[in-house]
Amino acid sequence: MLADTMYGLRNSLREQGIVFCYSGFMTEDVLSGIGDAIKRKLAFDDADTRTARGVFSVFVEQVQNVIRYSAEREPPGGGDEKTELRYGVLTVGKTGGKFFVTCGNLIERRDVERLETSLEGIQTMDRTELKALYKKKLRGEVPEGSKGAGVGFIDIALKASEGIEFGFLDVDDEFVFFTLKAFI
Amino acid sequence: MENIKIEASDRSPEVDFDFDKNVYALRGESYPEDVTAFFGPVIGKLEERLGSLKGAEVQFDFELVYFNSSSAKVLMGLFDMLDETAAEGNAVVINWIYDEEDDNMEELGEEFAEDLENVQFVMKKMAPS
Repeated sequence: MLADTMYGLRNSLREQGIVFCYSGFMTEDVLSGIGDAIKRKLAFDDADTRTARGVFSVFVEQVQNVIRYSAEREPPGGGDEKTELRYGVLTVGKTGGKFFVTCGNLIERRDVERLETSLEGIQTMDRTELKALYKKKLRGEVPEGSKGAGVGFIDIALKASEGIEFGFLDVDDEFVFFTLKAFI
Repeated sequence: MENIKIEASDRSPEVDFDFDKNVYALRGESYPEDVTAFFGPVIGKLEERLGSLKGAEVQFDFELVYFNSSSAKVLMGLFDMLDETAAEGNAVVINWIYDEEDDNMEELGEEFAEDLENVQFVMKKMAPS
């Protein structure tokens, strides 16, 4: 039974083209470790340089978003930035000749509208508009409720040569599950 | 001012700041765990030095393979700082050295160059490794 269960999980992931899957608390060390394995796998796959760097780059932005913003965390409600843990799920794989990097995590309901508006905007922009917004954000003030550059999503969109998809799912009164998939 | 030489790590670039010659370089990959902790002190020193220059020649090589969005913000700050140094009467050359197999990096260099008014921005292909 034990082997059946795990083999079933493995096959289910494989059927979706998933090569890497991590569900759990994400830390900078997790990012380093999985990132290294992804680089090595892409080298075996003979992915061209631009694609390989694109996949890696999207992976870094996605995982850092979870580390910084996931609303599911230990201790609940948040603690010291250096020791708290944030939960998310990550998959990296390939379907129909395109690589994908997907991340999902809980967010607070009040953040849904802001994220949705921002991502819908990014989705409709062409490359020239994206690059202009990227530079504006790099120069501008860090938006409220955002650590780091606040340009992670634009960076992902610039590297995602085959586009992005995103979705929200109600979990309870307080939390919504948010997921972003980038194709490279 | 003492020169700064920090070896590259898996996640942070080599920092090579020669304050005597005014030749500066960042090389490698940049996605440090804490961008401010890594770049803050070295950029503070650079700012101090650049602010004291008059009629000097300054060269800054950016030879980066990859940088994340938090590092991009740091780069933007550096470009603005160098452009200001040039506006104050110093001859500033920025070399943007990119891997020719990664046109994302070439494109980003062109984007950054567009907004700079006073520096000489040179695009160069990385020597094959």
